[in-house]
Amino acid sequence: MSAPVAEETTELDPQKSRPKGNAAQISGKSPLRIAFGRLMRDKVAVVCMVVVVLFVLLAIFEGLLQKAFGVTAETQFPTQFLNLNGVPKAEFGPPYGTFVWSHPFGIAPTTAVDNLAYWLEGARNSLEIATLSTIVATVLGIVVGLLAGFMGGIVDRVLSFFTDFFLTLPFLLVALTIAPIVNERFRDGDHYEAAQVVLLVMVLSFFGWMGLARLIRGEVLSLREREFVHAARVMGMPTRRILVKELLPNIVAPIVVSTSLMLPAFVAAESGLAYLGVGIRTRPSWGQMLDDATGFFKEYPLYLYEPLLAIVVLVLALNLLGDAVRDALDPKTRR
Amino acid sequence: MYAYILKRLISGAVVLLLVSFSVFALFWYGPSEPARAMCDTKTSNRCTPERLAVFTEELGYDNNIFAEYGRYVGGIFVGRDITISSVTVQCDAPCFGLSYSTGKPVWNDMKKRLPATVSVAVGGAFLYLLIGVPMGVAAARRRGSLADKALVSSFLVISSIPYYLFALLAYLYVAVYWQVPWLGEPGYTPITQNPVAWFGGLALAWLCLGVFGCTQYTRYSRGSMVEALSEDYIRTAKAKGLPTRTVVYKHALRAALVPIVTIFGIDFGTLLAGTIFTEKIFDINGIGLWTLTAIRAMDLPIVSATAIFSASVLILSNLAVDIVYSALDPRVRLS
Amino acid sequence: MRRTKPLALVAGVAALATLAACGGGSGDPTSPSDSGSFQETDAGSDKDANATAPAADVEGATSGGTITVYLPGDYGPDDLDPTNGWSVTGNSIQQALTSRSLTQYSVDSDGNATLVPDLATDLGQHNDDFTEWTFTLRDGITWENGDPITAKEVAFGIARSMDSKAFPSGAGTEYSKTYFANPDYEGPYTDKKTSWEDWGGVDYDNDAKTVTIHMSKSFPDMDYWGAFMAMGPAPLGNRSNPTTYGQNILSNGPYKVESFTPQDELVLVKNDQWDPSTDTARHQYADKWIFKFNADPDQTDEIMLSDNTQSQTSLSTDLQASNYQTALNDLGDRLVQQSTQCTSFLYPDYASTDINFRKALAYAYPYEDVWTAGGQVPGVTRTMANSIMPPGMAGKPDYYVDGEAFSYDPEKAKELLADSDVDSVSMIYYEPDPLAVKAQNVITKGFEAAGLTVKATPVQESPYSTWTNTSDKLNKSLNVRGVAWCSDWPSALTFIPPLFRSGAVYNTGGFSEASIDAEMKKIPTMDLDKQADAWGALDEKIETEYFPAIPTAYYNQLFTFGSKIGNPSGDEALGAPNYKNLFVMN
Repeated sequence: MSAPVAEETTELDPQKSRPKGNAAQISGKSPLRIAFGRLMRDKVAVVCMVVVVLFVLLAIFEGLLQKAFGVTAETQFPTQFLNLNGVPKAEFGPPYGTFVWSHPFGIAPTTAVDNLAYWLEGARNSLEIATLSTIVATVLGIVVGLLAGFMGGIVDRVLSFFTDFFLTLPFLLVALTIAPIVNERFRDGDHYEAAQVVLLVMVLSFFGWMGLARLIRGEVLSLREREFVHAARVMGMPTRRILVKELLPNIVAPIVVSTSLMLPAFVAAESGLAYLGVGIRTRPSWGQMLDDATGFFKEYPLYLYEPLLAIVVLVLALNLLGDAVRDALDPKTRR
Repeated sequence: MYAYILKRLISGAVVLLLVSFSVFALFWYGPSEPARAMCDTKTSNRCTPERLAVFTEELGYDNNIFAEYGRYVGGIFVGRDITISSVTVQCDAPCFGLSYSTGKPVWNDMKKRLPATVSVAVGGAFLYLLIGVPMGVAAARRRGSLADKALVSSFLVISSIPYYLFALLAYLYVAVYWQVPWLGEPGYTPITQNPVAWFGGLALAWLCLGVFGCTQYTRYSRGSMVEALSEDYIRTAKAKGLPTRTVVYKHALRAALVPIVTIFGIDFGTLLAGTIFTEKIFDINGIGLWTLTAIRAMDLPIVSATAIFSASVLILSNLAVDIVYSALDPRVRLS
Repeated sequence: MRRTKPLALVAGVAALATLAACGGGSGDPTSPSDSGSFQETDAGSDKDANATAPAADVEGATSGGTITVYLPGDYGPDDLDPTNGWSVTGNSIQQALTSRSLTQYSVDSDGNATLVPDLATDLGQHNDDFTEWTFTLRDGITWENGDPITAKEVAFGIARSMDSKAFPSGAGTEYSKTYFANPDYEGPYTDKKTSWEDWGGVDYDNDAKTVTIHMSKSFPDMDYWGAFMAMGPAPLGNRSNPTTYGQNILSNGPYKVESFTPQDELVLVKNDQWDPSTDTARHQYADKWIFKFNADPDQTDEIMLSDNTQSQTSLSTDLQASNYQTALNDLGDRLVQQSTQCTSFLYPDYASTDINFRKALAYAYPYEDVWTAGGQVPGVTRTMANSIMPPGMAGKPDYYVDGEAFSYDPEKAKELLADSDVDSVSMIYYEPDPLAVKAQNVITKGFEAAGLTVKATPVQESPYSTWTNTSDKLNKSLNVRGVAWCSDWPSALTFIPPLFRSGAVYNTGGFSEASIDAEMKKIPTMDLDKQADAWGALDEKIETEYFPAIPTAYYNQLFTFGSKIGNPSGDEALGAPNYKNLFVMN
């Protein structure tokens, strides 16, 4: 259910996100600038942007913040901090005690690692993986979509076949199956941690690009018959230039919309996979924290709500922002 | 039309072949010793190198992969005899091999688990539409009102919670803490055996799927309804003096339903192909849960069979969607 | 939905737990492990050849009702064929409820297990050097279809246990093939040329109702081995074909199988052909048993602690550490702590390490912290180990290798390491289990504090796959391995040789000393009443002279019982709930 594919199906809708470029030329502003102006007037969008920027800042400066609060995500000898049931003793903060400055978010059951430090590193990893996956998936989607739409013929057929093929692969099944195999292959190397991140990014992005590719293919199919493309061809412009200079600017809107909706989908998917035991194990992640916290839900609900709220707030902000971007870019749904 | 369907079926078959071969090859080349998994389970982790060699030979991992794959595909159509642990089993078509953990033909187990998954999928998908579409239409008609905003934002919050957490929390609160009396103990009972237990055991799973999934449908149908209502032909219809009801439900809804059908078809396919989280949390012994256990046990024949199954379901549902799509939208012609 | 425990954790009676998930208690007298919450009974080292049938009623027992058993994180047996059974789960359920054998354990209300006759009238008659055992069968024993059980069927069942190819996971490969005559016989399914009756390992006499087993070497523990369901009858001919029999067994105990879905559910109902007057230990109180394998640990705990109508007649074979405190308060004596007769070890490579290094590891291992991080309850589910043999085993010695119990002391470890050539540790851990990862982090931290360089490599399959594979490249690079071992019966014969004999599969550290090997061969031929103490002395000798393996913990398990389950107790012989004596209170 958490597969980004499901989210992406929104973009299958051919009715949405038609090219809007040409009408706007009259006022002398680029359509993106108009959209941006609209976006800045949207209060919800601005709030969401602030939230997202806040998360990004937290993620970037997590190291400094850890130092500022004097916390660390290093391994501890846990027994001295915990009760018999593995839940922190009262003097180390919640759930039995009250807020303590040395551990603002409390400490984790079982390991006694500081929650704030872990949470901050989790924020970084979650955003890093979601961003990387979004970039890879977007690039894949654009390239495949542009090529399939513009080249047509056999290229189109082959690429469309692969798009269908990836849509047909059961996402969870493949992710669950691949993970242990790849991990086994890289276990001896010095780059094990990096390999796990790359694997996760690959799994997420390889199953996230198809919607965008289909969307762009559709757009390009209609655009390539337009006069300005014909003109460019007649003038002898090379294909690469036509793609980049003429077509790409006209499909920026759907790309931006789909990218802004990919991010939250990947954040959610990462946590879902971690819950099933796939994904990075060598670094902190919110998904792992959630998986860990479900077992302590009754005694220590705060431990579950910390990553849960982070994911919900971040995904919510990103989704609302994505919707606002879509609205801003689409004059038809605006008055 | 028929030619189109035939073409799609052929390309679907090619995709299936690729999917099955990919999974087959993954197990073959992935782990350093593919027979290790079965050897470990069969010997309760007393798999000595000598025994491993026996299993490697029996499972055919020392043969050529293409020959083994050919034998496998042949078995699907005509059945074959398989010998494991000095015992020969007759595996009738469609033969997906013998499960490594039970030693029985995979298809026999699959047949037993299908009704559970179908029950979950049908009930869940029914609720998607039953709750989602009317809400979306109502929201679109009252677009911008307080009720609309409240609905849209509360649904966005729900859909931003990772599904598995939503379901797990629902399970813990509804089934364990509150023990809502008319909901039975979650689980699957065949409808032929006890319809009341069947309904009671699945009700919570359906509700969870329905409430969570319908948020998307509310969003989709609201979006496309808003778009449809802003089309020229609606304005024309209104100008002609047609009653609002007719305009909304006959003209606009029909146009708005087209993209919904696309999404629904694919979602229903995805549900049928396996609801791993739902089946795991609500203890429903269907294809999804089966797959999960099989992956953990590296039970290749089951994993291959479920991959082929879910891929076929997705291919067929995609095809069905396209056909229905062309029937609903006169502008679309299949070719 | 918590990721279930690795298969290896509860994998078998004579097996195993992942090293990294194991921990140890500490010998520190202030630690909870010494609070005496455990009564250490001797697990079945009592025998009573004259026990009478029917078994005495459990006090206050009533008939009727359905008992539901949740087995969190436990996949259960894949098939129910008695010959193929060697897991705690499968054996404890089947031996108590469906499948009878030559002997069995009778467990009293304090949890003391006594070896008593089952299908046989006594515990077997043996010759002087334990190479020939004769069992006489009772009158009136029947299958669930009413047919009498014949001596031929029992002999056939015993012959089946020789077929390690058809029953790769059966315990027969370990015992029948080791001790019975003509060990080269491949069993009735693999060796199609020889009739099983010509094997020479077993004779029967249908009229006299006797079964005689011939050994290839001295086997004083045949009466214990007789308590395995593999040493019971199998229907002749095609009815017991290994392909199908495991999913469709013919029961002869108080219950028979109504339905069985591997890794999911087993439903048992009363077998009306079972005659209590032929059985010395089993009862038939509940009408029905439902076993739910691989139940979700979180959800199971929630159900068991909620005391709702569903949980009142249920029990669970596991409790998560996070719920221990709550369960202790809420459940009282319905929370049962059961010793499982298992010891876990760190097993350094014998050839490439020295005794100072091994002792340093014993001081650098942060027992309680490893244990806590691994999700265990200090002093409850893990207790500090001082010997190879676990508590409850006959002859378990009391000694401390270094005069006092080991505890985490990095300074002392540094001193010892100064006298050693080895200064690095190379080990593996089971990555798919989050708890194993956490435990490994703590182990690494502890070792590094003692000045060791640690290289911990994650593996995706059971660590035993690596440890037992002598040709594996990764395995060759390790200098610290591990093993967790449980006894099959309370004799060190099932404990010390499998771990310390030269070349034994689970001798993961490669310990090899000719004098120790010789002693292990000699003890089984000694007088029966001297064997236990001889094993105890050998245990102490191995550890004090060579210290090849560092015992890190003894294992215990927690069971929770619903408020309407009568006689909530464990079965120490099997480390499982005492299924034979449970009932539903009216």
